[in-house]
Amino acid sequence: MNYNILTYCIFLPIIAMIMIKVGWMFYTNGEVFLMYLFQQNTSLVKSINNILLIAYYLVNLGYAVITLAYWETIESALQMLNTLAEHLGIIIIGLAVLHYNNVLVLNYLVKSKTLNQ
Amino acid sequence: MENSKIIIGYLIYLPIVIILTIYVSKMLFKNGKYFMLDIFKGKEDIALATNKLFEIGFYLINIGWALLILKITYYSKFGMDTQTLIEILSKKIGGFSIYLGIMLFINLYFFFRGRRKSRQSNRITTKTPIYNVQNEQ
Repeated sequence: MNYNILTYCIFLPIIAMIMIKVGWMFYTNGEVFLMYLFQQNTSLVKSINNILLIAYYLVNLGYAVITLAYWETIESALQMLNTLAEHLGIIIIGLAVLHYNNVLVLNYLVKSKTLNQ
Repeated sequence: MENSKIIIGYLIYLPIVIILTIYVSKMLFKNGKYFMLDIFKGKEDIALATNKLFEIGFYLINIGWALLILKITYYSKFGMDTQTLIEILSKKIGGFSIYLGIMLFINLYFFFRGRRKSRQSNRITTKTPIYNVQNEQ
């Protein structure tokens, strides 16, 4: 068991937990917006939301797993912490950027719909 | 000796990929049913049949692609160590998972497009606005 495998074992649960939690929060709060955009068509909104959630999980966890292949070799505990923090940080910042993007787009859609009425 | 690690890799890769594909397409087409009912305006038999056909196509494309990218090529004098195996598997499974997510988005786009087309044709033929309930606000 070298340091790299140990770091993978720490990295994967943390990133999976963060992503599942964040995705679930998007899922529950985004439903309200979608409800408004699709005129209270409940079954359709539920299905759109489900598909979006699954696609989000697949793309994000897939990206998190694929970055494992490109890590440098880790030789000490200190380096392990550094690399772990760096990779977690990159992914979490990426999530934040995506999240703000999402909020802006939803806000724009809701506003344009309200103006059109 | 080095071949045995590659075979272990295949044995890990195949169940993950096949279970992922089956689960995702089950979820997608359970939810796609509502879209189809919306597109075909409640004609249930044709909507369900179209949904089933789409589902079969989705299975075929994704499992076919998963099998196509199965092959692991790795040559070394000392054989493959566990870390290399994990890294190769992560590349394959992660890549497949992103591909599946993109396929899902493409499918969602098709659903929306069908829905828009169906609503447009409906508006031209019958001239009745469908969703006008919220105008009183």
